[in-house]
Amino acid sequence: MSNPPAGSERPGSSDDTGNAMPLTTKIANLVISVVLIAIAASAIAATGDFPRSMLATDVGAARFPIIHAGALILLCLILIANTLRTPTAPTATAKAQIGIAGYAGVALGMLATAGCIVAMEYVGYGVATAVYMAVIMALMGQRSPIWNPVLAVGVTALVYGVFHYALQVPLPVGSLFE
Amino acid sequence: MYEFDLLMNGFATLAANPLAIFLSLVGVTLGIIIGALPGLTATMGVAILLPFTFGMDPVSGLLMISGVFFGGVYGGSVTAILLRIPGTPAAAATAMDGFELTKKGMAGVALGTATLSSFLGGTASIVVLIFMAPLLAGFALKFSASESFALAVFGLSIIASISGRSVIKGLIAGFLGLLIATVGMDPMDGFPRFTGGYTELFNVPFIPVMIGLFAAAEAFKSLEDPKVRLGMAAALGRIIPEWATYRRLLGTVARSTGLGVVIGIIPGAGADIAAYVAYNEAKRFSKTPENYGKGELAGVAACEAGANGCTGGALLTMLTLGIPGDAVTAVMLGALTLQGLQPGPLLFKEHAELVFTLFAGMLFCYVAMLVIGLGLLRVMGRVLQMPKSVLTPVILVLCIVGTYAINNSLFDIGIMLAAGVAGYFMQKWDFPASPVVLALIMGPMAEANFRRALSLSGGSYDFLYTRPITVVLLTIAILTLFLPLVKRWRSHRQETRRTDASSRLNQA
Repeated sequence: MSNPPAGSERPGSSDDTGNAMPLTTKIANLVISVVLIAIAASAIAATGDFPRSMLATDVGAARFPIIHAGALILLCLILIANTLRTPTAPTATAKAQIGIAGYAGVALGMLATAGCIVAMEYVGYGVATAVYMAVIMALMGQRSPIWNPVLAVGVTALVYGVFHYALQVPLPVGSLFE
Repeated sequence: MYEFDLLMNGFATLAANPLAIFLSLVGVTLGIIIGALPGLTATMGVAILLPFTFGMDPVSGLLMISGVFFGGVYGGSVTAILLRIPGTPAAAATAMDGFELTKKGMAGVALGTATLSSFLGGTASIVVLIFMAPLLAGFALKFSASESFALAVFGLSIIASISGRSVIKGLIAGFLGLLIATVGMDPMDGFPRFTGGYTELFNVPFIPVMIGLFAAAEAFKSLEDPKVRLGMAAALGRIIPEWATYRRLLGTVARSTGLGVVIGIIPGAGADIAAYVAYNEAKRFSKTPENYGKGELAGVAACEAGANGCTGGALLTMLTLGIPGDAVTAVMLGALTLQGLQPGPLLFKEHAELVFTLFAGMLFCYVAMLVIGLGLLRVMGRVLQMPKSVLTPVILVLCIVGTYAINNSLFDIGIMLAAGVAGYFMQKWDFPASPVVLALIMGPMAEANFRRALSLSGGSYDFLYTRPITVVLLTIAILTLFLPLVKRWRSHRQETRRTDASSRLNQA
């Protein structure tokens, strides 16, 4: 992990181009702020259903979530204002971005992880993890028809041995095999 | 000198018990491995080994458990530094600078510094435990809900200084973490908040969030660039830091150890809080605070000395008052009771010889941790030699299995994945992950203690300004929060003035 992968150049920072901020960062800041404001606002709305505390001296279950959500909304509004106030960096000065292939790799990796979790419930740890490992290795560019399955099964078995036998942590068997 | 004589007798008794020595070594080794694996904490390690100690003599059983405790606290730093997988919550603080050092090709020195600092912090805390037990235990008794609330606020105020480039983004991450921390059972009435009917969310599973934010996010990032997918990472390099390098860190280690011991003796505050507070103080005292978060050895030394310094402090209140300082010592309290020993002031009177044999054994455990730790580093460092195309899938599998191991729950793995996806986008857009973890640790502590203190004071907010320790801690918290902001504002203003002056000169 010593080689920082492309994209580790902190696209969110604006330092590299003086005070200016790349357009992608501005859009990301605005989108993230709006999403967080929506989450915080719905959290505040949900606290309306919280019951009053049974103790007269207590502030109740809603007070802290309201404070945290309120502060989050305020901070997001500050970020929106700062982002809108900051000049946009010219496209040429914005650093190289990850290509479509890069993002596709990340998205496939995330989907494969979700698939592994779902599969584990039915086929158990062994099958789900071995297949998952082989898929991620393939996504990482390792596509040997011999080494991929060998490594996938070997690592899966080793991790199983350490957790199941040495540490007494039971791993999922899968509803199909129970 | 009475304690010193008892300690020497303890060493003699320990030397005559080779089984205890062997089991200490086993405990330390297992502890390091358990600590290094994500999802497995020292608490879990101690709990797993507890049944094995039933048939052992008290010294052997308790020393094996102590070995797991000490090794577990230290072990978390290894994968935090090498792979950005914090094995324990405390190691999340170590990952901030440790992984940056690995990226710079200084993994070996970072690991060596972590090992030495853990050893020094832990050993010093046991020495404090031996010689200052009654005095410090009295101090711990002064901590009630209001002081614990103030301590949590102090912990949260650190967010400003671990925010990286943008304080606003750090604060947003922190308050998002605080909001997430309110998911689950309300600490006073037990009312489920934001759970959507899922019982799994009744207690916020923050370790899956931590594993996702740090480890899974980093692994997803490795999938971005085809050019580095097959790349080999750097070798471990030198492990033991040069004396000239480490000498400069001794002040930080000493200060962090002291903080760790004090935080350890406060019930409810554990190694994670000690690591973050020690990190913040090291940064505050540093002449180059701007280097923190970018690969600063002092940051690693501070976290590790603080976290391990906490062990002696936590044991102190547990042994002298019967109050466990954290989850591990709560389990150890059970182990002591099972051995027929009742923790409290009488323990030192009635079983002085046994207690001091345990202390001698604990010092031995730390020496063993230093030797075994340094020995294992080369083996563990081999993971860096693995091609990334194999290392990344292994990290992801460890994330999944480690998360599952906490509660045997697939739901938790889903939370880990969600946190991993969020962590990936947070990294991309410069939102720091550490404030979220810090808020998840401190948030529930702050809320529960605030509401408890308010109830104890009959609904009056007096406790915020009438209790001296609370006032001191809240004052430090305010300073900690605002000083970095003032410093940044001043440097920004100076920069603007310089820019204006140079543009005026250019125009002239």
